[in-house]
Amino acid sequence: MTANRDYGKWLIWPAIILLILFILAPAVEIFRASIFDPEFTTEHINRILERDIYLTILWRTIKVSLIVSILSALIAYPVAYFIVKRPRQQQFAFLFLIFVPMWMNVLIRTYAWMVVLGREGIINSTMIALGLIDESIQMLFTSGAVYVSMIQILLPIQIVTCYSAMTEIDFDLIRAARILGASPAQAMRKVFLPLSLDGTITGMIIVFMLSMGFFITPALVGGPTDLMLGNLIEMQVEQLNWGFAAMIAILLFFSTLIIVLVLRRISKMLTKSLSRGSL
Amino acid sequence: MFQKLSASISKRALSVYFYFIVFYLIFPILIIFPISLSNNSFLRFPPSNFGIRWYHTFVNDPAWMQATILSFGVAISVSILAAIIGTMAVLALERRNLRFSNLLSYFMSSPLLIPHIFIALGVLIFTISLGIENSIFALIGAHTAIAIPYVVLIVGASHRQLDLTLERAARVLGAGPIRAFFSAAFPSLLPSVVAAAVFAFFVSFDELVIAQFLMSGRETLPMRIWADLRLELRPTIAAVSTLLIILTTVAMFIAELLRRRTASLTNT
Repeated sequence: MTANRDYGKWLIWPAIILLILFILAPAVEIFRASIFDPEFTTEHINRILERDIYLTILWRTIKVSLIVSILSALIAYPVAYFIVKRPRQQQFAFLFLIFVPMWMNVLIRTYAWMVVLGREGIINSTMIALGLIDESIQMLFTSGAVYVSMIQILLPIQIVTCYSAMTEIDFDLIRAARILGASPAQAMRKVFLPLSLDGTITGMIIVFMLSMGFFITPALVGGPTDLMLGNLIEMQVEQLNWGFAAMIAILLFFSTLIIVLVLRRISKMLTKSLSRGSL
Repeated sequence: MFQKLSASISKRALSVYFYFIVFYLIFPILIIFPISLSNNSFLRFPPSNFGIRWYHTFVNDPAWMQATILSFGVAISVSILAAIIGTMAVLALERRNLRFSNLLSYFMSSPLLIPHIFIALGVLIFTISLGIENSIFALIGAHTAIAIPYVVLIVGASHRQLDLTLERAARVLGAGPIRAFFSAAFPSLLPSVVAAAVFAFFVSFDELVIAQFLMSGRETLPMRIWADLRLELRPTIAAVSTLLIILTTVAMFIAELLRRRTASLTNT
């Protein structure tokens, strides 16, 4: 039998070749296109540094993504806790309520927000019908609309990640803490929170990375000052400026990487100090 | 007594909070249904008269129909390819002593962590330098690549719960490795492979940005929706969305059941 363990190794190759062709090689091509055209050039870097607008958009993308990921984590945590405390049979049904929106097309979910927030949308027409306002309020094409829709789109992923981290927790530990005299709040803070924090921050990082690449939602529900790096890349591609688009993509890639590494660091420190009880 | 009361109040508050969040997640999606049944020419709420005018527009407009057919074609190819290639990778990863097997697992899930816009731009530049722009095969390949992690995760999870004794018995009794696998292990793996194929289908069917960058001339359904959403907000989109919402919900429900069935089959 042991001699036979070699014969199936080739089964991995189609997947490796596919990912090399469609993920790895294209990533290398982006690096190449950002600095070679066809000779080495600093044209694209200079263009980014020359005008404030590009760094402003980079900074805005980071800010929006951080706010979206932090708010998602805060909103999702109690939701995941609620589901995990239900009996096993019910958990499936509750999770399904989260799964359905998670798998819905992002275009459709963004369209839904255009319907809800628009001039003649549901909120405006309901408030006018109730006599609360006389004229439509501008909600669509604002930063607020971007946050509300992006959080709605990304929240399910955060809930599911939090939930799966919480299912790993041994609830006997909390019972033990209670028996040893901890109040429910203490047991929560000193036992449950440190154990679930790592999974929560993992979810936050996933949401952060996904928001950094967003472009559908800012383009459709945001105003002209809500554009993000993704929109910039799309515009450059439409104008056939592939080299410059590649440089922006590199900017997106490295800024995401650096912030993710910092968040990981913070997560480790927090978990450590929480379980030591110094917080 | 007081403690019990406050505990039950906080439990109640938590469940109210939960349903509020579910409302926030689902309500905007549900609201598309009545819009799709309006006969108004413009988006307004509530619709002033009802009918299925926009479903007619959708079905009779060749641009919408061609986009739908193209998307189905691409997504079906992707789901078959991803299910086969992904399942093969799982068999190698889970059963063989591969060198660098941890590194390979990370590599297999890497498309999940890279923004689609990055992949889209990379594949676009790559196809341009190879001189094969506007190729539907590049689109199918890229969609298959981003669907692979889902297949590896879903099939891999169900493979880890598999009892391999039966397959080993078949081998001992003289069946070749391929026959032993297909007669003993594959039947219990099949529901998760089908579930993974459904997920892969939607990864491709819903994907906008890669298609937008790679295809010129021909439109997929998300590209058609995107073009319409940017220019005009006609209720055709509400009709299309309603159909897609129903399709997605039904397919995902079946996929979830299949995934769970594998889990419960192997647990008992």
